[in-house]
Amino acid sequence: MPDVCKAPAAADALLEEERFQALSSGEAKIVEAAASRIFPTTDTPGAAEAGVVHYIDRTLKEIYPKQIASYREGCAALERNAKETFGRQFTELAPDQQDKILSAFEKGTASGLADASEFFALLRKHTMEGMFCEPMYGGNRGLVGWRLVGFPGQQFGYEDPYINRVVDLEPIAHEMPFSQQEALDGRKS
Amino acid sequence: MAARADVVLVGIGAVGGILASELTAAGLKVVGLERGESPPYSDYALKDAVHAIVRHALHDSARHEPIARRDKEGENTRRRPVSSPTNQVGGALNRWTGQSNRFAPGDFKVFTQEIASGLAERAGASLEGYNVADWPIGYDDLEPYYTKYEYEMGITGADGENPFAGPRSKRFPMPPLRDTAKFVLFRDACRNLGYHPYRTPNGILSQRYKPPMPYAQGIPERPGCVYCGHCNNYGCHVHAKASTLYTHVPAALDSGNLDLRTRCKVFRINTSPDGKVTGVSYFDPAGTVQEQRASVVILGGYLYENVRLLLLSRSEASVHASGLGNTHGLVGQHIMAHEDVRVSGIFDDQIINGFIGPGSVGGRIDDFNSNNFDHTKLGFIRGATIGTSGSGTPIERYNIVPRGMPRWGADYKKYLTRYYTRSFDLNMQPETLPHKDNYVDLHPTECDAWGIPLPRVTFSLHENEQRMHRFLAGEGEKIMQATGAAKVWSAFSKRGSRWAGGTRMGTDPSNSVVNDKCQVHGIDNLFVMGASVFPTMAGYPPTATVAALTYRAADFIRSQNALFH
Ligand SMILES: Cc1cc2nc3c(=O)[nH]c(=O)nc-3n(C[C@H](O)[C@H](O)[C@H](O)COP(=O)(O)OP(=O)(O)OC[C@H]3O[C@@H](n4cnc5c(N)ncnc54)[C@H](O)[C@@H]3O)c2cc1C
Ligand code: SF4
Repeated sequence: MPDVCKAPAAADALLEEERFQALSSGEAKIVEAAASRIFPTTDTPGAAEAGVVHYIDRTLKEIYPKQIASYREGCAALERNAKETFGRQFTELAPDQQDKILSAFEKGTASGLADASEFFALLRKHTMEGMFCEPMYGGNRGLVGWRLVGFPGQQFGYEDPYINRVVDLEPIAHEMPFSQQEALDGRKS
Repeated sequence: MAARADVVLVGIGAVGGILASELTAAGLKVVGLERGESPPYSDYALKDAVHAIVRHALHDSARHEPIARRDKEGENTRRRPVSSPTNQVGGALNRWTGQSNRFAPGDFKVFTQEIASGLAERAGASLEGYNVADWPIGYDDLEPYYTKYEYEMGITGADGENPFAGPRSKRFPMPPLRDTAKFVLFRDACRNLGYHPYRTPNGILSQRYKPPMPYAQGIPERPGCVYCGHCNNYGCHVHAKASTLYTHVPAALDSGNLDLRTRCKVFRINTSPDGKVTGVSYFDPAGTVQEQRASVVILGGYLYENVRLLLLSRSEASVHASGLGNTHGLVGQHIMAHEDVRVSGIFDDQIINGFIGPGSVGGRIDDFNSNNFDHTKLGFIRGATIGTSGSGTPIERYNIVPRGMPRWGADYKKYLTRYYTRSFDLNMQPETLPHKDNYVDLHPTECDAWGIPLPRVTFSLHENEQRMHRFLAGEGEKIMQATGAAKVWSAFSKRGSRWAGGTRMGTDPSNSVVNDKCQVHGIDNLFVMGASVFPTMAGYPPTATVAALTYRAADFIRSQNALFH
């Protein structure tokens, strides 16, 4: 496995240094813990290292403010289920206990949240987007998501068809947020 | 009020762009009204999955123009930002995949060759509720226009590889795109099974190209594809993928005869008391109602909008009480859409790297398309082309997971990590036949941002398609097995794509809306173009045939001096 796939330093540091805009810091910790079970850190980086929670927070703040309420209720329900089932906070549970709670959400059998499976689906969708998005959206930090699966990002093109060969190119990300590109065009936003 | 134009075009997508070039070259004064913008490079050429795919539905180009969708009469509708049209100059071609097959000769004669002939009966097909009609024209009528489309847009392909294709008067203007890993696997598997793989004809340049004489010289030279792979659903940053935005529209603007007005949304076709069309009414960018008079009005707004405008333009006082061209209640009827069948495979010993190159680069077979195989006792008629797909960035592929595999957690992560580069899909475009329960009409209560009733689309698959899809999934899985895939599975898309019908063409006004020149029966100066005129839709994507019909109709319009005095 190439070096780039090794898990970088703990993600807690990331959590600490940035403030959240849509989620409370308590909710952010729950979301991060849940995302880390959906796409866990193993011998390679996962949702924590990719900064998925930051993708989610920014997406909620900037694009889908109506979904903040779903996260608010969803996090509260995760917490309640953790307490009811295991007597502890969700973030303090062992990974397999967290998995049990999340499975119940996925199946819609968790208590106290009518659309638990919908919330799980949303959380999963956002987690995967945060793994593989352009870093300018807040996730895929250090391009860990792309490096993990072998996707080299925004190559201008490929001179070689790479038939049955690993693509050995350094991944490329967008350097400029979309809003700035619009300004370059002279187009009103 | 603006001066009367010779022609007003409603929508500047594939149809509108081609017409703009064709009609201005003949010296006609053309006003082009497009409800979207002329998109800036940084918008359509952006290679960003979140922007282009995850959040596409939020963009101005999509969110202001929803349709209302339901499966069956009686159900509530859901709003859908439509993936097509794209509401920009260039239309859906700014995001299309590029697969560019012509229809085959038999595709125009389904009624005669498969129903009247007794073949459907021998197949044991159940065609109750279907309303299939032949096209009023055949392959030979369109052949010269297919050629013109291929030379002006720059279509790549391999001559003579597909034994089921119709005869060609000219070679493809360019060799095919380069081979990919998935194509090589697919080709070898198909040959082993005795099928006839061919390299997919593509609206994507394989090398630098400018149309030669006698084709439109105003079309700029464009470079070949660089295989960036952000293609299907994205715009092309080098302009190798054909869009009228940078082919036909510049040519038309060069002529000085095109008055292109963007952010102008047409909401009514105006008629005089004697029933003749006099022009259109539209909202200008400031939202003010404007009128544009014209000798000829041509709708190229894609089928939802073509149908909606004809229905919205009813006028109680005239002969058009139920809408234009709707004397027999046929506007909006006979719609069709492909609901794709996908077969996926993962490999332990092959690296595919499907994110390289256009989604449409690869190969296909027509051995299970049209009437190319024995349907006896299969329970259905018609079929689909089967070919390679499965490009896509990780955001587009993280949900392609075999049955039984968890969709989250460590095992899922291991799967995605290992197989993202080691997988590809087969896709199919199974023909859907027109059925009485599938139609577009005006929503009785829901409106768009301008207060205009939404097009309401009622559509689901019926017996013939359901049986066909099950059969195709089985054949597709056999092909994927033969590539050596470690695991193979299939899935059915429930989202219709490549819509057709709604203003079908025919010779008999009691059974069709337009004639073979796309001219509305009984209204000489109103034309409707695009896939909405297809009587049947074939197992291929529509654009080559849409373009050929458009070129043919343009020839006719240019020859009709009487329309322009
Ligand atoms: C993602 C994607 C992939 C595709 N892949 C393929 C493929 O591989 N092969 C293939 O053959 N086809 C493909 N297609 C379909 C292809 O793009 C269409 O066949 C083609 O663009 C249709 O041309 P059109 O001119 O009829 O409609 P469009 O290109 O959709 O253009 C219609 C235009 O009319 C404008 N308009 C509509 N109503 C009004 C109004 N009231 N006032 C003013 N303007 C209006 C719209 O804004 C739009 O710009 C694909 C489409 C999409 C979206
Ligand atoms: S793959 Fe080729 S045609 Fe498609 S967008 Fe990239 S360069 Fe353009």
